[in-house]
Amino acid sequence: MIRLININKYFYRGESREVHALNDINLEIKEGEFSLLNGPSGCGKTTLLNNIGALDNPDSGEIFLDESLITTLNEDEKTQLRLNKMGFVFQAYNLVPVLNIEENIGFIMKLRGFDDSIIKERVLEVATLLEIDNKLNALPSTLSGGQQQRVAVARAVAAKPKIILADEPTANLDSKNSKILMQMMRTLNEKEGVTIVFASHDEYVIESVRRVIKLNDGAIIEP
Amino acid sequence: MFNIIIKLAWNNAFLRLSRTILVILMIAISMAMMLSIQGIYDGMTLNMIDKTLRSDSGEISLYHKNYRLDKNLKHNIKDASQIQTFLQTNNEIEYITKRLSVEGLSATARKSAFSNVIGINLENEIAFGQFNQFLKKGDMSFRKRGALLGSELAKTLKVNIGSKIIFSTQDHSGDINSIAVRVRGIVQTSNIALDASAVYVDLKQVQKFLGVNNQMATQIAIRTHSQTLLKELKNKYPELDVKNFLELYPMLKQMKDMMVIFTSITFLIVMLVVLIGITGVMYVSILDRIREFGIMRALGMSYQNIRYQIFLEAFLVGLTGYILGAILGFSTLYYLQNYGLNLSQYSEGMESFGMDTIIYAQMNISYFTSTFYAIITASLLSVLLPLIKIKKLNPIDVIKAET
Repeated sequence: MIRLININKYFYRGESREVHALNDINLEIKEGEFSLLNGPSGCGKTTLLNNIGALDNPDSGEIFLDESLITTLNEDEKTQLRLNKMGFVFQAYNLVPVLNIEENIGFIMKLRGFDDSIIKERVLEVATLLEIDNKLNALPSTLSGGQQQRVAVARAVAAKPKIILADEPTANLDSKNSKILMQMMRTLNEKEGVTIVFASHDEYVIESVRRVIKLNDGAIIEP
Repeated sequence: MFNIIIKLAWNNAFLRLSRTILVILMIAISMAMMLSIQGIYDGMTLNMIDKTLRSDSGEISLYHKNYRLDKNLKHNIKDASQIQTFLQTNNEIEYITKRLSVEGLSATARKSAFSNVIGINLENEIAFGQFNQFLKKGDMSFRKRGALLGSELAKTLKVNIGSKIIFSTQDHSGDINSIAVRVRGIVQTSNIALDASAVYVDLKQVQKFLGVNNQMATQIAIRTHSQTLLKELKNKYPELDVKNFLELYPMLKQMKDMMVIFTSITFLIVMLVVLIGITGVMYVSILDRIREFGIMRALGMSYQNIRYQIFLEAFLVGLTGYILGAILGFSTLYYLQNYGLNLSQYSEGMESFGMDTIIYAQMNISYFTSTFYAIITASLLSVLLPLIKIKKLNPIDVIKAET
């Protein structure tokens, strides 16, 4: 489903402080896999995740999604791809501050043109599962960090994307909510065949996934 | 899809209140000022035109072909009374009056000045142009050989109510003749030429003094709202000089045109200031949220939808500013229309230009429609710069910046 061929990514290229963030990455993630990008801080987990999610472009190499080359798409095509196929959970919660929790969770579904009644039903379903159903009318600024992270997760999963890309999704969650989140991800993965790629060094996440891809200094050391 | 864009635009406009209030106030105050300036400018022009129409020309005036070139008594309308009687049957004519004017010299024991005796029927003139409203001092009366003097002429001759003046001119037979009149009132029409030279005397008395019959007049003035009457009268009386007031007073037309230019320039300046002001606030406000837009693009919201949202937000803020501005502007204009703007401290200058010292503003629906288009356009233009910035935005830059 996701195929990366000879991916290289540099930061500050040509400068004395040049960083080789992704070093000749070759990777294949099959449909329905539940994988984790793991490694020390600065090893390139987030950069790799951003490249898979068509948020960032590699300096060389090719990325295929469902056999389609995505590295040559223009910005509008990439935006469409992210909207229709991917769900993101960022390190920071990145909620829309002027929309309430219900609208934030249903945001991607709205953009994708789901029917209002379906959105309402699905929002309530994921909000109940993540125990934020009593906050649906609140604005993000009134929620704690953990609650906002759960809203961000709910937003990513609500539209049932084909792929969920999550960067440290449990970083702001307590162990109870981390368990709920991982359980929900497992359910999505097993029952609905959603492909999930996490970037995390949370031990609990490592235990929950089926595949751990280890990175160091921008290279895969254990696929 | 569109309801989320509307929701985002609405919430951004009205949940970020301090920015919105600032823009709304900026628009509303500028608009109210603009409307007031426009109303005052138009009020000044129309006031001058109105006084000229009422005191002299009406909308249309008829003269002998040569009268305006050579104001000799021989250039008169011989059958003026018949024409007047005939025109009174025309439904398009609201009021009609005839006058008999002759140039000459007015003198007191110490002073003399060029002047123009105008024979009028006071009742007619009151109906025609509310002539009584021009009375500045004394009585609106011709009793006992009474006369009404233009205010500037009264100053020149240094006469007051009750003073006696002698007016001398060439009569119909070519002889120099004089008439003594007593000043009963001083009138100020704000028509510079009339105020400096007019000696209003009862029409019958002037006819008698000049030795002409009561059919004769030098001018027939008409009040009408008809747009076609001028052409009709020109066709009907080819032997007469039929003119509308703008032909008779080209300066008024120039003044009117100049006021349009003034208003347009003021309008442009105010709108430019509004545009720069809103652009500044909207630019800062949108760039403050650049991260939010980056995240929305990362999540899959297209640039087109973000553009709709920002335009809609600008439109909502502009529209609210416009509504408040329209209310403020309407209230100001309503006040200025009814109570006027008192400029009496500049009375000398104003009067020398033929203007009243209290200016009553005009209010037209066109003021509100033109400002509507201008403000909405300015509001929409104000977000173009930040939109260019957002178009160039790469969502990864925003995401990276916070990790």
